[in-house]
Amino acid sequence: MIEIPPIMAIILPLFGAFLTPIVAFVSWRFGVRRQVCGWFAVAIIVATFAIVASMIPAVLGEKILVYEFGRSPPLGINLVVDGLSLFMALMIAGIGSLVAIYSITHMQHHTRLDLYYTLLLLIITGMMGVVVTGDIFNLYVFLEITCISAYVLVAFERRWESIEAGIKYMIIGSLGTSFILLGITLTYGTAGSLNIADLMGKFAAVTSGAEPVPLVMVLIPALFVAGFCVKAAIVPFHAWLADAHPAAPSPISALLSGVVVSIGMYGILRVVYMMLGALTIGPILAVLGLVSVLVGVLMAFGQHDFKRMLAYHTISQQGYVLLGVGMGTAIGIQGALFHMLNISIIQALNFMCAGAVLYRAKTRNFDELGGLRKSMPVTAILFLVGAFSISGTPLFNAYASKSAIYAASASQPLYLAIAILADVLTMIFFLRAFRLVFLGTRPRHLLSVKEAPMRMLFPMCILAVLCIVLGVLPRLGFNIVGTAQEAVTNPSNYVGRVLGGV
Amino acid sequence: MAGMTTIVRTISRLLFPFMLLFGVYVLIHGHLTPGGGFQGGVIIAASFVMIWLAYGLEQSPIGFKLFRTEVLEAIGGLVIVAVGVVGIVAGVGVLGHVLPLGTLGNLFSGGNLPLLNICVGIEVAASLILVFYAMLRKIAWDEK
Amino acid sequence: MSLNYVVAMLLIALGLYCLLLKRNLIKMVIGLGVMTDGIHLFLISMGYREGGIAAIVPAGMLQDNVAAGFASAAVDPIPQALVLTSIVINICIVALALSMAIWIYRHYGTLDPSEIRRLRE
Repeated sequence: MIEIPPIMAIILPLFGAFLTPIVAFVSWRFGVRRQVCGWFAVAIIVATFAIVASMIPAVLGEKILVYEFGRSPPLGINLVVDGLSLFMALMIAGIGSLVAIYSITHMQHHTRLDLYYTLLLLIITGMMGVVVTGDIFNLYVFLEITCISAYVLVAFERRWESIEAGIKYMIIGSLGTSFILLGITLTYGTAGSLNIADLMGKFAAVTSGAEPVPLVMVLIPALFVAGFCVKAAIVPFHAWLADAHPAAPSPISALLSGVVVSIGMYGILRVVYMMLGALTIGPILAVLGLVSVLVGVLMAFGQHDFKRMLAYHTISQQGYVLLGVGMGTAIGIQGALFHMLNISIIQALNFMCAGAVLYRAKTRNFDELGGLRKSMPVTAILFLVGAFSISGTPLFNAYASKSAIYAASASQPLYLAIAILADVLTMIFFLRAFRLVFLGTRPRHLLSVKEAPMRMLFPMCILAVLCIVLGVLPRLGFNIVGTAQEAVTNPSNYVGRVLGGV
Repeated sequence: MAGMTTIVRTISRLLFPFMLLFGVYVLIHGHLTPGGGFQGGVIIAASFVMIWLAYGLEQSPIGFKLFRTEVLEAIGGLVIVAVGVVGIVAGVGVLGHVLPLGTLGNLFSGGNLPLLNICVGIEVAASLILVFYAMLRKIAWDEK
Repeated sequence: MSLNYVVAMLLIALGLYCLLLKRNLIKMVIGLGVMTDGIHLFLISMGYREGGIAAIVPAGMLQDNVAAGFASAAVDPIPQALVLTSIVINICIVALALSMAIWIYRHYGTLDPSEIRRLRE
């Protein structure tokens, strides 16, 4: 096995992003079809997935990969791949490649395809950089790359809805990253270092709870939590998501709802939980998560827009993840990580189904849709799989992760009751959506709707198969997140490996 | 869009080569004096924007080709990533020094830094020129 | 409390006020710029050392042993590098926000976010 350093997972999409305009120009000059940009992007993202997968054997063998730029830590910048980073990187590369395959067919009638694929590769670069880096300012830079690409992709279609959603997302998102920058400033002033491993060591003395906590140690986690909650769309800061996710093109909605909001949750885990010690703010995180669960489900109630309803459910499910993280026990973290994987798969599947309906029927409004099950049978079955999965039905994947989160929150019966209630409401709303779109009589203007093309159905089928496999074999899912959960609850391995240098 | 008065036009036309020269100076001496790739690139872009604002987009005396600027921007980014990859291949790690480190304080010293500064400067100047060109052209097109 | 930190906090507060409460998109973008300037000022002032020289090796020091004397006499250059990176990122965001503001103005004829349908919510 060739020793490929973790840096290649960042450089390869970045290189691809800069090459895409040249590929587009060359293909235009030589009269090749316009789709070659898309296949090039798919090839690059699949190659990134292969690079990340090649690091699996090393990390599973309890080794943490460290790659240094120049000087060794704590002076230089380094990349660290431990269990949590590998788990997130696999999720990003996997869903990214499926979204790229889906978008070849869905976006083929657009004019600015080279811009679209450049931005898609840049957003994958940014997310890879966020999960792999070991330096907190580097995390901020890659987070900004991700967010700026996301702002432009949301406003990609140049309809008025998209541009307004783009501005709203941009202003609220910039506020969030300013909070993160202020948190980094205070961290540097307090501890004098920017390396995450070094900061873990320096903050461990304060968070062991011996002496009273100074004011700045209350302010730093508050700023970081506020900043990352804006990215993860947790309740006081969720106003942008309901407009931004429907207005984006459908493959980008799938990517945003699945993976980009999980980057905010990764930030909370890595920076707030591991670096600063979540024991004092755990209950606050749990309450925020619970409020998100409830608000997300209740606001999905009267929606007439298919994708807007799905966007509100993203808020609700991210609330479950935060509830699991806030509870702080090992089973809670395991359930939260597994649920993060599950909802990225499920929400990607749901948004892709909505995109298939939009592609064929040209509308997203529930009042204009109906009776599509005769002509789009495969899409109907796949959406039914997604609906059952997100509600936590047994034999589908979210059942195991939600049970783990319920078990973790069993110490607070009120939380458990509200979470189960939201679960039941989710099931009701999704079945209502299924009835409105696929059952019933078909309106006159939709008589000529055909099934979605095969290349769009292929990634959706893969996601649905993953849902069912993870549901029938939950032990497999818990094994997958086991290494990640080890990494989160034992940060001493991380510190020893980075600073000691095995 | 309309330009400005004759005084502004004359002075900006006289200042334009000096601004370009100053931008290139800040760019190349990045490893010795304050400045570097980004700052020099912004000064170069500002000189172009000054001419456009003084003369208006249609009557500007600069010959500006959109496609050449886009190609320059892409080349700037590609060379930076290529230098990084060359670092891996040569075994010194990403963005390691492959050019000789000279004595401290000379212009031709500092390993990879002058090359990276020039590439960053080209990319930043091209990007900012494209941003302003797009904004000015959109406003001019909307006014018709 | 040094004067730098007070002014930085004032700028952050003013920028936040403009960003959240003004009724004009361009003023909101200006508020965002002022707030990030406040954060940058805060970050740079954190690297200050009493009586330190700027972090550039002057010509007189080239003959001696550079490393030992310079590192103890110069101010901290790391916050300056962080601020440079952050300024570049902010240029991108401000350029994007202004482009979108131009599009919105041409469609609605007004820059008031309470008039624009989706920004009202």
